[in-house]
Parts: sequence; C-alpha cells; structure tokens
Amino acid sequence: MTLEKKMIELTLPRLFENRVKELGDAVALREKKKGLWRRISWNEYHTHVRDFCLGLRSLGLQKGDRVSILGDNCPEWLYADLAVQCAGGISVGVYPTNSYIQVRYILDHSQSKFVIVKDQEQADKVLLIKDQLPQMERMMVIDLKGLRKYDDPLLTSFCEVEETGKRIHEGTPSLFREMIESTKSDDVAIIVYTSGTTGPPKGAMLSHQNITSVLDSFFEVLRIQREDSLVSVLPLCHVAERLFSLFIPMKSGCTINFAESIDTLQADLAEISPTILLTVPRILEKIHSAVTIKMQDAHPVKKWAYHQFLPIGQEVAEQRLFKQEVSLFLRFVYWVAYLFVFRPLRNRLGLLQVRECVSGAAPLSKDIMKFFHGIGLMVKEAYGLTECTGVFSMPLGDDIEIGTVGKPIPGWEYKIADDGEILMKGPAVFAGYFRDEEATKQVKKEGWLFSGDIGEFDARGHLKITDRKKEILITASGKNIAPSEIENRLKFSPFIKEAIIIGDKRPYLSALIQIDLDNVADWAQRKEIPFTTFKSLSRDPEVYKLIQEEVDKANKELSRIEGIKKFVLLEKELDRDDDELTATMKVRREMIEKKYGDLIEKLYQ
Amino acid sequence: MPRLEIIDLNIHFGGIRALNGVSFSIEDHQLFGLIGPNGAGKTTILNIINGVYPPSSGRLCLDGQDMIGLKPHQIAKMGVARTFQNIELFKNMTVIDNLMLGRHQFIQSGILAGSFYLGKCLNEEMINRDRVEEIIEFLEIEAYRKKVVRMLPFGIQKRVELGRALSMDPKILLLDEPCSGMNTEETEDMARFILDIKEEMGVSIMMIEHNMEVVMDIADRICVINFGIKIAEGNPKQIQSDPRVIKAYLGEDE
Repeated sequence: MTLEKKMIELTLPRLFENRVKELGDAVALREKKKGLWRRISWNEYHTHVRDFCLGLRSLGLQKGDRVSILGDNCPEWLYADLAVQCAGGISVGVYPTNSYIQVRYILDHSQSKFVIVKDQEQADKVLLIKDQLPQMERMMVIDLKGLRKYDDPLLTSFCEVEETGKRIHEGTPSLFREMIESTKSDDVAIIVYTSGTTGPPKGAMLSHQNITSVLDSFFEVLRIQREDSLVSVLPLCHVAERLFSLFIPMKSGCTINFAESIDTLQADLAEISPTILLTVPRILEKIHSAVTIKMQDAHPVKKWAYHQFLPIGQEVAEQRLFKQEVSLFLRFVYWVAYLFVFRPLRNRLGLLQVRECVSGAAPLSKDIMKFFHGIGLMVKEAYGLTECTGVFSMPLGDDIEIGTVGKPIPGWEYKIADDGEILMKGPAVFAGYFRDEEATKQVKKEGWLFSGDIGEFDARGHLKITDRKKEILITASGKNIAPSEIENRLKFSPFIKEAIIIGDKRPYLSALIQIDLDNVADWAQRKEIPFTTFKSLSRDPEVYKLIQEEVDKANKELSRIEGIKKFVLLEKELDRDDDELTATMKVRREMIEKKYGDLIEKLYQ
Repeated sequence: MPRLEIIDLNIHFGGIRALNGVSFSIEDHQLFGLIGPNGAGKTTILNIINGVYPPSSGRLCLDGQDMIGLKPHQIAKMGVARTFQNIELFKNMTVIDNLMLGRHQFIQSGILAGSFYLGKCLNEEMINRDRVEEIIEFLEIEAYRKKVVRMLPFGIQKRVELGRALSMDPKILLLDEPCSGMNTEETEDMARFILDIKEEMGVSIMMIEHNMEVVMDIADRICVINFGIKIAEGNPKQIQSDPRVIKAYLGEDE
C-alpha cells in the first residue's frame, strides 16, 4: 500500500489524533480575548474536542446524526465541528448572517438533532422556530451573555456539555479513542449547504475521503507548513474557509488565529501578520478602494510617491508574470518603491508576511489582481465548487497567469464538454446532495461531476473560467456574452459596488449599478454636493455623471459588443434580507431581474 | 431591605423648592425609571444621592446605611456609580485609561510603588485591567480600546462612560439620560446593554430618560416627578394610564 493510498484511508479525526501526538504543547490556535492573544495548544484543543464529543454522545448523538453549528468563527466552532465528526456524526455549518427563516430551512432540511450556537443573537433565532423543528433535541450555547435568564429546556451551555464529557472520560479513558477508530473514510463528515444563487440551498455531503484526498492534492500545489499562520475570517460554514481553517491544519499543523471581533479585524490582522491568506474578491475590492480613497487624504509626499511607484510596481509584476527578465535599473527602482511605499502599505494592511494569497468563490477582476501584484502580493485565483470539496484548480508556485485559475490540481480527471462545461472526476467528488436524489442525478452523471461552469484551457493548460453556464447572456444578435467579466471591470471603480449586466435577448447591453456609498459620499463631500441618504445620492445628476465617466472608462477596454450602452443607478443597496444577495454576497441575478423588471424595461425603450 | 431608600427628601436653593418630600425605594436587581418634565428635579435627586448637594432634610440609605453627610468619593466607595447627561470623561485619554480610572478605588499601592511598577503594584494593575477588559468585551468596544476618547463618535463615548461607571463594580448605577442625542440604532444598543447589565451583573439601576419608549420598554418600576413632587409610582402599565402623569406631560384643558 503506497503512502498516498494510506492517506486516503484516513479520516479527519484520525489526522487530528496524529497532529496532537506529534505537536502536543505547540500552539494550534490563537484567540484574542481581553486584548491579548491567548494560545491554545494542540493538547488543549484535543481535550476540548474529546470532552465535547463525549458530552454529545451522552446526550444521545449517534453515528450519522446531523449537528448544526451556527455562529461567527471561534475556537469552539472548530471544537464542535471536530467533536461531531469524532462521534461519527455529520456537522452542518450555518451562516451566522442567515435570517431565522433561512436557519429554519437548513435545520429542518438537515434534520439536525442538536444545534450549537455562538451567542444570544443566534440562540434567539433558534428559539423563535423551535416549535417547527420536531427533530431538534438540544441547543448548546457557547457564550451565555444575556441568556442566563432563559429557562428553555432546549438550552444547555457548551461548557456544561464539556463538563459531562470530562467526567465520562475519567470513567472510561479509552472511549474517545475507540470512537475515533470507528470513523470510516467513506462516512459523510460534513454537509455544506450551498449558498444557491438559484432556488433554496442544497446540502452537499462531503465524506472523509473527499476531504483527505483533496488535502493530498492541495499540498502538492501549495505546501503549507507548521510555521504558517492564518487568520480565520470568512464564514467557517463555507467549504473554502473550512478547508483552510480546519482541514489544512490537520495535515500541516499550522496555526489558526481568531480575531477579537469584526470591528477589530484590521488591527488584529496587522498584529498577527498571517503568512497565508484566503480571501474573496469582495474583500480585495474593499481593500483596493479603501487604499485609493485614503491616498487622496494622504500627505502630499506620500501621495506623490504612491502614484509614481504604483505603475512601476505593476510593470515589474507584469514582466515577472510573463517570465521576462526585469532590467537591473527597474529592479532597483522597484526595490526603492517596495522599501518606501509597498512595504509600509502592506504592513498597514496586515499583509506584510503573506507568502500565499488565494482568492476564490467568485471571479476576481484583472485590475484588482494587477494592483495587488504591483505591491508585491502575488494573489492567486483558485477555482472549485462545494461539490468538489473546495479546490479544483489553482496556480502552482509563481506560475500565475492573470485571468486564469491555473492548472487542475493533481488527482483530478477532467474534460470540457461540447457546450464548454467543465466536467471533473476524482476521489474528491462529493457523495451527493442530502435528501435530494434528483438534484444529485443532475450534476453527477456516470462518475462525472458537472460543474455548471463554462471554461476553456489555454495553450499552456491553464484553465480560464468564462462564467456560470446559467448566466451566459445571448444578445438579440446571437452573441454569447459572459457578464461577470464586464461586471468585474465595472466594480474595479471605487465608486461602483455592484453591477448587474442585462442583455439576454436584447439588442444591447445595459447595467444596473449600485454605487459604493462610502466612496461616493466621500466624493460628494469633496465636491460639496448635498445629499442625505443613499437614495438621494443615487438620484443626484452629478453622481450619475461620475458613474457615466466610470462606465465610459470601462467601455474603452471592452469590445464594442460588450460595451454598456445604458445604465441605471439602484436607489437602494442590495441586501441579503431582501433575497437579492446570497450568504456569500453573490448577486441573485434571477431575483433582481424580476424585482427591477420595470427599471430594466425603461433601459430598452 | 431595599437597596436604596429615599425618605421624605427636601431641598431648596434660596427660595426655590427643588424637591418637596420625595420618597421611593429601589430594590435589588431593579431597573428603576425616573421621569418627569424638564426642571422637575430629576437630576437634583441624582446629585443628592451622589453627595454633590446636601439635602435640606430627609433620609437616604444604601443597604440600610445612612448616606447623608458623606462626601461624593465616600459614596462612590459604597457602590454608587453614575453617568452624566453631558458626557464626563477625560477626553484626551484613551478608553482604557478612562476605564482604569474607574478602578481607582480598588488600587491600594501608592505613588512610590506605582512609579517602580513592581510586585504587588503590577499584580494589582493586572487584576484591575482584567476586570476592565471584561467590561470592554461586555460593551463591545474592543475596537476603540486604545483610541483617545475625544475622537470617538458620540454613541461610543456614551458607551465608554457607561463602562467607566461599571468598572467601579457598583451596587447601584445612576444613569442620567443614557439615550439622549442618540439615533434609533444607538438607542436600541444602549437599551440592550442596560438590560444586560441588570441581568448579568446584578446591579440595581436608576435611570432618568426622556425617551418614553425606552423607559416603558425596559423599566421594572417608574417614578414620575413634577415640580419637585412625586406624582406617581408604579409599573410601566400603571404609569401610562395614570391621569396625573398624562396631565403633567400633556397639560390640561382650561
């Protein structure tokens, strides 16, 4: 049996046991509490998982039972996740930003027996719907603040369950190990509910084998080491964050850090200065526009230096990407620029030590990518689906080609279907949708996973994703258009937060644009344009002119057929609560086209 | 025994009778609302409890212990903390420093030990800082910890002031218009914090507030005063339907 084969036989709890044995008192997690970073060693991590696992068991958790976890990222989230898996259960992550209706759907559909909630906010959601959840037996609360007066029999504290588990462990010390040993690689480990730009979320079941096999192939492309540290920022219920914050440390032993709160994230990031960063385009866009706007208020010298050096940084980055020799002179200038501009900038952003930056979940605009490469941060775009356990393709080393997502990682068999759809096959293809045979059959045919994405391989074998198959527009003249690329070009403007391209069966393309409130408000103040709300700002003719200029700039870079002829500014920010965005902040095109139908019609009159 | 007992309190400034025989008592774990039109004498009551003004006559007891004649710092030491109508913080100091000042009464070591910052003094600082950090977490002001108070938004300054009062580990907390000047969201946050303080920390709270929605929503018991005279006392429901209260607030048809 080869070593690789052996890895596939492993389960996540077994990997965890191995890391604990190997690393013992080394730091596994850090959490900022009371203004200080508190270290949690692998041994402590193990104790928490063990106690909570045994506690769950004593409450009646059986193999195959579902347990949901609802709350912001924290060490307890990971303890609970691993504990459930150690007990042979299946853990289900729920977005903490979900409304109670969305929470009810997932708890009900997954038939969760237990739910672990972070705090009062989340507990209140569950208490509101508990009567509609006949399967629900117990809710464990991590942070009891504001809940001490609640006397609902459903409620237990996280600590209490751990206490029970501790007593059980003292009685039968071998029990936990036996439980871990009875986990099997083809057992389902977690269910990840996809955010679903269309229809209700679907629960993708991922087995231990899916997870361990994707880990093996991932490490061949991006080797994460024990010395690496990551800050857990994105929601843990998303497969990519779970991969980085839970799965990867189980193999590499790297350290995961938890920020104190969302408000302190920027400062905490700067303190930790992580070496690996998993991010999404939205965050990178936000950083870029924050830097652009802040530079306007910067000291004239700083401002001058920034505007002089940024193009040089980008030129060097571009030459490096094209594998050209960078001239000695340029290299010297870049070194100066790095020393005086890029380094302090990256330090301020908390990105100084980042050696690998992976962006996923949505396509990243080329201009944003160039900006970060310019300041020396080699952002890589990865591509994957929940259904393929997170990663399908990712650039290897510094072989980054802007606009592509690199080559498929080892372990995947793949082909492009006749209609351009990417198909994949391999041990990391998910087990199926939970309680939805029909949907499973639609995406899994003869062992192939139908990704639903259109893409192509270039001459060097790099994969270029065109768009979601469902979102390709066909204009009245029969031209196929991938809207996301144009949308990303528009979103590069610091004044445009969201753009939705319209044009299916229409003579030309138009766009619904949502302005970036902070940046446009800032601009309006400089121009002394009075406004009161988002609405009044969107209605202002000067603002319209500003956006027109931005659209014109984008049009220059687009082919004539892709140009945007008309646009309209949305008078309200797109919101998750209005079903306009998914939990991962992706636009729900269908919903928006329906909702703003009148507005769209006006664009074609 | 009630936590705070006020019996027949009178005060006059020259010829003006600011308070005329006001009596009420606040129980343990109670959120007591004090309302009344402008100039009714609400803040004067707080100032008397604090020891800023000596009353002309009347009795004032905290846990049965007489408070009349004590100095403000002695009263603070007994466990009475307060926030003010207009924020009273050290504006050029950080949030942490302001909150640590609230712990002043718990710090034993003197100026000499403090300047060397050794042994017992360091230990004391750590214990007190720990409590301050708990309060910071409780009030969710982690992001402002090291910021200078002057630079903070008004709503956050109000929260810091509440934190400064809480860091005294009070038995009773006097809040003078905690929600004034706040927008709806800030008001809601503040109301939630006040409720949490009552429930989590077991502190009795006396609150003056003009935002009737907030008072009626969160107070356990309300006392209404007008022109220095108590005109009604009861739970929010009773107060809302009390004709004297309606008269005091809306005036009377001639």
